[in-house]
Amino acid sequence: MHAMAAFECQSCGARVEIDDDRRTGKCLYCGSPQVIDRPPTPDRPSPTFGLAFVVPPERALEIARGFVRRPLFAPTSFRKAKVDDVRGIYLPAYLYTAVAHTQYSASIGENYTVTETYTTTVNGKTVNRTRTRTVTEWRDLSGRHSVFVGDHVVSASRGLPNAELESIEPFDWRAIKRFGPRLISGWATEEASLAPRDVADAARREAADAIGARLSRFMPGDSHRNLRWQTQFDHEDLELVLVPLWILPVRYREDRPPVRLLVNGQTGQVHAKTPISWPKVVAVVVLMLALIALVVWLVTEAR
Amino acid sequence: MSTLSSCTRCGSPLSAGDLRCAVCALPCPLPPSGEGPYRAVAKVLRCDGCGAALTYDVHAQAPRCAFCGSVAHLEESEDPLEEAEGYLPFRVAPDVAREALRGWLGSLGWFRPDDLASQSSVDALTPLWWVGWTFDVEALVSWTADSDAGANRSRWAPHSGQVPMTLRASLVSASRGLKEDEVARLAASYDLAQAAPTPHPMEGAQIERFDVQRSGARRIVQRALEAEAARHARQYVPGSAIRNLHAAVLPKRLSTRRWAFPCYVLAYRYRDRLYRAIVHGQDARIVFGAAPYSLAKILAVVVPIALAIAALVAYLMLR
Repeated sequence: MHAMAAFECQSCGARVEIDDDRRTGKCLYCGSPQVIDRPPTPDRPSPTFGLAFVVPPERALEIARGFVRRPLFAPTSFRKAKVDDVRGIYLPAYLYTAVAHTQYSASIGENYTVTETYTTTVNGKTVNRTRTRTVTEWRDLSGRHSVFVGDHVVSASRGLPNAELESIEPFDWRAIKRFGPRLISGWATEEASLAPRDVADAARREAADAIGARLSRFMPGDSHRNLRWQTQFDHEDLELVLVPLWILPVRYREDRPPVRLLVNGQTGQVHAKTPISWPKVVAVVVLMLALIALVVWLVTEAR
Repeated sequence: MSTLSSCTRCGSPLSAGDLRCAVCALPCPLPPSGEGPYRAVAKVLRCDGCGAALTYDVHAQAPRCAFCGSVAHLEESEDPLEEAEGYLPFRVAPDVAREALRGWLGSLGWFRPDDLASQSSVDALTPLWWVGWTFDVEALVSWTADSDAGANRSRWAPHSGQVPMTLRASLVSASRGLKEDEVARLAASYDLAQAAPTPHPMEGAQIERFDVQRSGARRIVQRALEAEAARHARQYVPGSAIRNLHAAVLPKRLSTRRWAFPCYVLAYRYRDRLYRAIVHGQDARIVFGAAPYSLAKILAVVVPIALAIAALVAYLMLR
């Protein structure tokens, strides 16, 4: 899997070996940062755009340290873990934009009020009273909805699944930069390991979910239910982009693999799959049950 | 806006300095460059100043030479301040504008003071180029709404539809000096074909500025487009009472132009009070603004009518 290719360092002439899944490297002899330019293929296009690092490493460390201390049910070893290893990488991802034509149908709730008469007993006498009640009438509605959908991001790396990337989105695409070697010089940069056709379905799913959220706001009436929609995507475009990530491995136990903590290199959004300490969970549950039992006992005793 | 070419997806003209289409976000075509590499090569980026290796520096947020500290730039979307690209000429001379004001003051009707036209004096006359955008678009508008048409038990029934919309030279004001309703009265009578790239000399003229960047301007135009779409959709909703109108727009060939429009702002004095009036810079028939009423004349009408009504009521009650 890890094929290497040898290059000649432009600075010192030494032989530099760089992984095929990397776009940057470093000369072992003179330390010069190398940027690899490979001929693009349909499965591995050249990046079109990139976002630059905005969050400096010190800040990423601060954010990460704050994050590991927070989760109550994490093992104590995790919450006290030292976080001092921070690596910046450019992750390849595909940016999806398209025209979305959607056919939708829904039941639209239109409210109206009815006045009804009822009998009740007041002070031993039977009296007639009226009250108003809101009733919902359900009407069927179907139609078409056409918009541009944009800026859905899907990971182009097998190493970092899309769900993990989603946990630190969104990115601010207004700050988009044309990709060039200057953006990534000196930074670890992955090559795309997924082809556009591998991620197209995931991108469409993301876009279709976003359409659903928009349709939900688009519906008339006082309420709606049974919203169904079928979207046809036209003029689709998938561009390879590079997004900045800080990756911080959190080592909290010798016998467990480190937890991968991600910090969005542009916005500082942080996420990690925190481990759960089952003894802590059990202890808390037992304590709660004991408290409830105590209260129940106190109440029954008091009677 | 200097136009390179059009977006292949939505047909909107692309602006110089943009990386992506501002309407549909499709990447702009790259300027033609040399052929890519035939085989993979490793490059070391060099500082233009000292030749040392260049790396991206997160603190400088730019590629920076660690040796001499010089900073290089990354290509990103330009966001310049908006500037007018077309100045419409004044076709009404200042004296004609003064006359137009006098004529207007004399035409306001019987409830105004008799001597309004003769006793008013113009304190200040300022030629003003106010600024705004016009946009052209062909859009597909999807809409939903509740209306009374087809209602059963509830007052409301849901409706939906999809209609095309074409707008030509739809105006969006960027003016701080003129109010929305003033702009609306001026807008129709400008001749956009006569614009020049720079303002022609005009003594004492004020030229308004957009005070907004390109990205901000696009948001303003987008909001105006959505408002127009809702207004357009409204006429397709059946029935007379409408609520919950939603409109979604799919724009095509959206092009925006930036203009400076001529008008005169006049301050005139009548019996020691100042009033403001606007005269169109290209059509002296369009004059509007504030003007005093004659209290004596209003009383002269209201008092007899009130007395007559009182007399009638008294007569009917005493009968």
